[in-house]
Amino acid sequence: MPGVAICGAGAVASVGSSLGEMFEALCAGRSGMGRPNGFDLAKYRTGLSFEIDDRPERGRDVPLRSTKWLEHVIEVAAAEAELTDLRDVPILIGTTLRELRSVELRWRDGIAFDLEELHFGPALRRRFGAVRVSTVANACAASLYALALGSDLIEAGAADTVIVAGVDNISESTYGLLDRCYPEAPDALRPFDKARKGMLQGEGAAAVVLRRAETSRHGWVRSVAVNCDAHHPSAPDAKSIAIAMRQAHARAGVVPADIDLMMLHGTGTPLNDEAEARSVGDVFGGTDPSPWMTAIKSMTGHTAGASGLHSLLVAVESMRTGKVPPVVGVREVMEEMAEVRLVRDEAISADLRLAQINAFGFGGLNAVAVVERPC
Amino acid sequence: MLITGVGTAIRGVAGPADLLRPAVQEGSPDPTATLTGRGLRYKDRATKLALCAGRDALADAGLLLDPGLTVPGESVGVVVSSNYGNLDTVCDTVSAIAGQDYTATSPMSLPGTASNVTASWVAISYGLRGVNLTLCDGANSGLDAVSWASVMIQARRVRHMLVIGVEPANPVVDALVGPTFDGAAALVLESAETARERGARAMARLGRHARRESHARAVGDVLEEPVDLWCRPDTTPGHPVESAREHDLTALLGPASGALGVVQCVAAASWLETSDGGTVLASTHGVDAASAVVLTGAGR
Repeated sequence: MPGVAICGAGAVASVGSSLGEMFEALCAGRSGMGRPNGFDLAKYRTGLSFEIDDRPERGRDVPLRSTKWLEHVIEVAAAEAELTDLRDVPILIGTTLRELRSVELRWRDGIAFDLEELHFGPALRRRFGAVRVSTVANACAASLYALALGSDLIEAGAADTVIVAGVDNISESTYGLLDRCYPEAPDALRPFDKARKGMLQGEGAAAVVLRRAETSRHGWVRSVAVNCDAHHPSAPDAKSIAIAMRQAHARAGVVPADIDLMMLHGTGTPLNDEAEARSVGDVFGGTDPSPWMTAIKSMTGHTAGASGLHSLLVAVESMRTGKVPPVVGVREVMEEMAEVRLVRDEAISADLRLAQINAFGFGGLNAVAVVERPC
Repeated sequence: MLITGVGTAIRGVAGPADLLRPAVQEGSPDPTATLTGRGLRYKDRATKLALCAGRDALADAGLLLDPGLTVPGESVGVVVSSNYGNLDTVCDTVSAIAGQDYTATSPMSLPGTASNVTASWVAISYGLRGVNLTLCDGANSGLDAVSWASVMIQARRVRHMLVIGVEPANPVVDALVGPTFDGAAALVLESAETARERGARAMARLGRHARRESHARAVGDVLEEPVDLWCRPDTTPGHPVESAREHDLTALLGPASGALGVVQCVAAASWLETSDGGTVLASTHGVDAASAVVLTGAGR
C-alpha cells in the first residue's frame, strides 16, 4: 500500500555540511560548539554557540545566511529524489526566526536587506521557480509541524510530492535574551543532566522530499501529531506533550513498545527537559526495556526551526546503519531519566525499525513524529 | 467549508460590515482599549490586536461565551498570518544591546523574538489546544492562512479553526517598511457538518484556493462563474478581473501585507451574509506568487 515516503534528504549544521558528515560526527561524539563569530561578544556573558561560520570576513555578519542554507538543502534533497521541476511542488519551511537576523543587521548597522526576503518565497521562486512556498514560523517545533502539513497534503491527495524543510540561524535578539534569562551562562549544552544550565543556540537547515509511493529510500512518515499547550508562552506542559505522543502513536497504529528509538528534543534547559522526561515517563512508563533514547543538541546546539528535521534525519540514518549517536556531556543524569536506555558518551549498535521524534517550541507547540525504516 | 464567525480590531472600523464602506471613521478609539487582564504591557501590538479580533470572531461563531469556550479546547486550532508582527521586539532588543549590553534587555521579551508569539498568546488566552500555526508568507500570507485552516479541518486535526490576519503600525515597522495598516481581522472556519451539528450560523462558503506564478493564472484556476464582488490585491495586477463591484481594502486601510487576505475574507463573508448570496473573489499578489480564493453564499 502506498505511504508517505521520504525519497530525498539534505542537511547542514555546525557538525557537518551534509547528512553523512553530520551523522558521522555525531556517532563519533564530535561537537560543533565554538565561539560565535558574527557579533561583538563584549556585549554578552555567554560566549558559546554552534555556528556555521561561513561568513566571508570573520566578525562581520552578512544577511541571508539562512536562505543560502535552505536553498542548498532543498537542492540536495530534490537531486536525491530525482525531482527536477519544483515549480508546482508545495515547499513548507519550518523556522523560528525567518530572516530576522538580516532585519537586525539592517536596523542596527544599515546593511542592505529587502524586507520582502524576510520569508523564503521570493528566494525559492528565483532559484527553483517554486510558487507554492509556505514559511511556517512555528518556533522550535516548526519543521515537524511543517512535516505534519506536508503529510496531510499527500494523504488528502492534494499533492503527490511535497518538500518539507527547516532552517534557522542565530539572531542577536534571541542570543542576548537567553543570556539575560539564564541565571548563569551554560558552559555546554547538557540534555537531561542534573545540573543542566540551559540551551545554546545552533545553526543549520534540513530538507526532505515526501512522496506518495510504494517504495522509499530513507523511510516512511507513519504519523505526525501536533498540538498546543495553551498554557504558558515559554514553560512547557508535560500533560500536553504526553497527549501529542499518544496521538502520534494512535495515528501510526503503534503502541509505545513498538518504538525502538526515541529522538528526544533534549534542549538542556531545566524546564524543557523536566517536562519531556515526565511525559516520556507517563507514556513509556510500562515499557520495559524502554526504547533507545538519544538527543543531538549536545553536539549540534539547538538548531531551532531545523531541529525537528535534524533529529528525524539522524533517526533515519540510525535505522539504516544500526548505529545510534550518543548524548555527550552528561555528568549525572536527572532522576526522571535514570530508568530509561539513554545512549550516553559512546554510540551503540541496535536493530531499529521504528523511531519517534519529538520537537517542542515556545508557545507550547508540540510535534511528535513516528518514522519507519524502509523494508 | 463554512465561515461561521468574524471579527475585526481596526481603528475606525466598528465591525466587519464597516469593511465595505468607502472610508473609515476618523477619531475612533483604539480597539485594544477593550482588552483587560494581567500582563498586557508585555504583549506586542500585533498580539493585542489579534486577541481582540480573535475574541470577537470566536464569540460571533458562538464558540466563546463568558466565561470560556463552548467546545473542547483540543477541537479548536489557530492560524495567524503576519509578516511584521514581532519586528518591534527584535529591533528594540538589538538596539538595547547595542546601547549597553545584554543586561539592558527585558527577559519578558524572549518569547516575542519568535514569530509565533501572537498565535501562542491567542491559544493561551482562549484555551485553544489544537493545531497552532503561524504563516509568514509575504503578500499572500493571509489567503494562505485561510487555505491551511481548511486543510487542517479536512485532515481532521481539529473541528474549528480561528484564522487571524494582523499587522501592527509602530515606529520600527514604519522605519523599515513605511506606513502600514494597523489592525487585525479574524474568522472562524468549520465544516458544514460541524456547523450543522452545533446549529451555527453560516455566513459564507469557502471555495477554491490557488497559489500560482501569476495573478491571471491564480484567478483563472479558481473562477467558474461571474464575480459579484472582487476584493483586489494591493497592487494593480496586469490582468484585471471583470466584476460587478471592485473593492480595494488597501485604499480603505493602508497596505495590510500579511493581514490582507484575512481582511478580504472577513469583508467577503459580511457582504455575502447581507446580500443573499453571490460570488466573491479575493486575490493577493506578491513578488513570489499570487493567490486567489472564491467565496460564495452559504445557502448554496
